[in-house]
Amino acid sequence: MSDRKARLEITVDPRLSAYAEHLVETGKAPSLSAVVNDALSEKERRDRQALDRLKETAAQADPAKVARMLKHVDAQAAALPGR
Amino acid sequence: MSEDSGAVPTPWVLDVSVLAEIARADAGVTRLVLILDGRGQPLVMPVLAAVKASLDARTEDADVALRGLERLENVLVAPLRDAEQAASLAGIIAKTGLEPWDAHVAAVADASACPILTLDAAKWQQHANDLDNPLHVIEVADPDDAPDDPGGSGG
Repeated sequence: MSDRKARLEITVDPRLSAYAEHLVETGKAPSLSAVVNDALSEKERRDRQALDRLKETAAQADPAKVARMLKHVDAQAAALPGR
Repeated sequence: MSEDSGAVPTPWVLDVSVLAEIARADAGVTRLVLILDGRGQPLVMPVLAAVKASLDARTEDADVALRGLERLENVLVAPLRDAEQAASLAGIIAKTGLEPWDAHVAAVADASACPILTLDAAKWQQHANDLDNPLHVIEVADPDDAPDDPGGSGG
């Protein structure tokens, strides 16, 4: 993926648009693009954090127990009609 | 449908029992679901079932876990989209007596002819023939667990 910034055409809720403009007008953000960029970065961070948390939880499982559960699941799936 | 054909496998619908275990950070169930996702098994999270899992846990960690689940490659959230779906769900609740979150699971499974992944197969067997299509279930359990140890899915 290129580091060059992509140009997006987006629509946002009027309330959020007004808030973004307010941030720019009051000097809290350099541009509307920066506001959107920051918001997307924050969402990406939250999403990655949530996924990492899930993986951390999974890493604590007993592999042998999970293997038995998976085998049991697979056997039932294979027995479903149309398989 | 064969995975060898390159076709997408039939999705499995995650019910409240599975989502609740993930929400409360059960390592075994979480790992199982991650493995299924890694295999390319499509998994559907009915939004009302996620509501119930979040409602029962009421912790930020639980909501983070559910959000992480949603981010998995092969997990798709089934929304309650419009008035037609709302009416259909109401019909299933009236017909089966299921709670709304369970009824949403049943509705998604029925509409798409997908099996339900659950920790409580017995609950679904009671309703297996209540709807247009028979409900099929896949139970998450460790066969080595004693029958009197129902809480033993963790690890």
